[in-house]
Amino acid sequence: MARIERGSTGVSPLFSLINENHGRDARATSISLLEARNVHRVLGSGDAANHILKGVNLAIHPREYVSIVGASGSGKSTLLYLLGGLDRPSRNDPAGKPFDPPSRILIDGQDTARLNDTQLALVRNEKAGFVFQFHYLLKEFTAQENVALPMLKLGRLSKSQIMDRAAMLLKRFGLGDKVKRKANRLSGGEQQRVAIARALANEPAVVLADEPTGNLDKKNSELVAEIFQQLSEGGQTIVMVTHDSAFARRAKRIVTMEDGNVVRDGELVGSGGGEVR
Amino acid sequence: MRWFISTRYFFSHKRQSLVCIAGVTISVMMFIAMLAMMNGFTDKFITETVESSGHITVHDEPREKDTQILERFTTHPDALLSIERTKPRDTVKQIKNPTGLVAQLRRMPGIVAAAPEVTGEAIASYGTRNVNMAIVGIEPEQQQRVTTIGKDVKEGSFRRLRTTADGVVIGSGLQKVLGAQLDDTIVLTSNTGGRTSARVVGVFETGVTPVDYSRAYMLVNSAQTLLDKKNVINRIILRTDDYTRAEAYSKQIESLCGYKTESWQEASANFLKIFKVQTVITYVITGALLIVAAFGVLNILIMAVLERVNDIAILKSFGLSRGDVTLIYLFQGMVIGLIGATLGVGLGKLVVEGLRRLPIKVEGLVKSEGLLMSENVGMYVQAFLASIVITMVAAVYPARRAAKYDPVEVIRGAH
Repeated sequence: MARIERGSTGVSPLFSLINENHGRDARATSISLLEARNVHRVLGSGDAANHILKGVNLAIHPREYVSIVGASGSGKSTLLYLLGGLDRPSRNDPAGKPFDPPSRILIDGQDTARLNDTQLALVRNEKAGFVFQFHYLLKEFTAQENVALPMLKLGRLSKSQIMDRAAMLLKRFGLGDKVKRKANRLSGGEQQRVAIARALANEPAVVLADEPTGNLDKKNSELVAEIFQQLSEGGQTIVMVTHDSAFARRAKRIVTMEDGNVVRDGELVGSGGGEVR
Repeated sequence: MRWFISTRYFFSHKRQSLVCIAGVTISVMMFIAMLAMMNGFTDKFITETVESSGHITVHDEPREKDTQILERFTTHPDALLSIERTKPRDTVKQIKNPTGLVAQLRRMPGIVAAAPEVTGEAIASYGTRNVNMAIVGIEPEQQQRVTTIGKDVKEGSFRRLRTTADGVVIGSGLQKVLGAQLDDTIVLTSNTGGRTSARVVGVFETGVTPVDYSRAYMLVNSAQTLLDKKNVINRIILRTDDYTRAEAYSKQIESLCGYKTESWQEASANFLKIFKVQTVITYVITGALLIVAAFGVLNILIMAVLERVNDIAILKSFGLSRGDVTLIYLFQGMVIGLIGATLGVGLGKLVVEGLRRLPIKVEGLVKSEGLLMSENVGMYVQAFLASIVITMVAAVYPARRAAKYDPVEVIRGAH
């Protein structure tokens, strides 16, 4: 297993990557970082309509490490995309009747319904970092450039600072010698680590991971799980969808979904991660 | 960042990008070469016609027709008038007081020179060959001030008209048809019955086929005798300071002298119309080439979009907006257009120069020893801008299509 580098201070260097402002502001005002209020999601229309989420209410607080589990088709990925502003909740039920109260997603207090597509894209750029089952790296770009892209979009740093930061992130994930390597010349585990580095590039308020170990072998899955563990210990808010129960139990809070509803939401009791309370 | 992604995509698919660029380059090159050729022939025709025939011609047709005698005496609409034993007047069409009018026209602003002419039809015979021609009776010195015909003489000279009795300078086309050489004697018979044996003292070649195959110059006195138009001047040829303004000057002169006055544009209206149609056809053909190239760009960009659906999804997931994605593909179209147009303009210039040097004899409406190419900066700018605009337009559809992809749908599809 590739070793994840730790800083000499003894504190995980990943902790220093977290945007302190997001966490501090949210904790100080004790508001939710992400909030779903009566969230419905209907895909398709008419007879072909599929009511995937049926009035989900959920709040994610700063520094939480939350796993969303459930059977396939229970709506967990859909909920994750909605929480990250990648999708928008539905306004009407399959019959065309508006939901009451209307579905709302709040990201760091901002109601996504009031944002246009460009504004929502900026919110995603600044506050959310997505990791998917597939790495989705741009194959024409090097590992460093892939990590740099979200920072280039944000435009807060100069190009040289961005490239330095991208290289530093990769180094911390054990990819220091593969910074200049094209994305399609990395192994599956390495690609997923680059994808995680990319998700962290802009010091997002929350990392949203959808089955991040789904395409990896056991060794790489362990490595990715360890990375998430370290990120969480460093104060990073993480929301993760997974089928892997062992991975899910690393989170302090597990949300279970069934048929478009949250049926259980609780914290794990005990260091071994046995019971959900 | 959009530019960074766009250029990387562009250079990562070198072969496809090169095909697109080649399409644009070839169409721009063809556009320039065809337009230069078209303009070359048009310019040659206009220049030679204008220079060999003068900028403005005053004809012997009065602007106001003679009022019929009955109309002169009709004082009441119900009046009944009758004329008996009328006899049509035997009038000779001519310009009255041509010397005075020529002097008056020479004093007009914008008029550089004026020369009187007498013209008529004749048949030239040499051996068994006969050919119709237009006889133009001139004062050689004055004629050479209003036209460049003196410079077009390839054998003999106009000066010999003064030293040779009944000398004639014929067009090279007429010489070819008749088979007569310099100093040979040809027989000229006018349509009024006049007949003379004339010595060929010169052969001119303007390069404009209709002129070279139909026109012959004689001294004005000789022509008047041959055509049975004693002391008649039926045309005055004028040279202006700017041949493009001939139409405006022509109107002024007509109102001043009272004779029908025709600019070179009016005289060559039929040919100019043909050139306009040819120019339109050239634009249509070369425009079609550009459109075909644009379809190539469209096709390859659509393929590029389809290949990179996942990329588009992830770019959107970390914050690129629809506008950003649109610009990535529009930039690609712009890069293809810019490179293609630049290469096309460069190659177009080389092709124009190459064609100009090709030793191809051309004999049609105009005669030339090589392909006539005429170029101007506007033509290159036109080709450059048109290709960029067309490739950008071609990139709009793929760009908008890319922007419309819903990242969630893409990610779900890939699961």
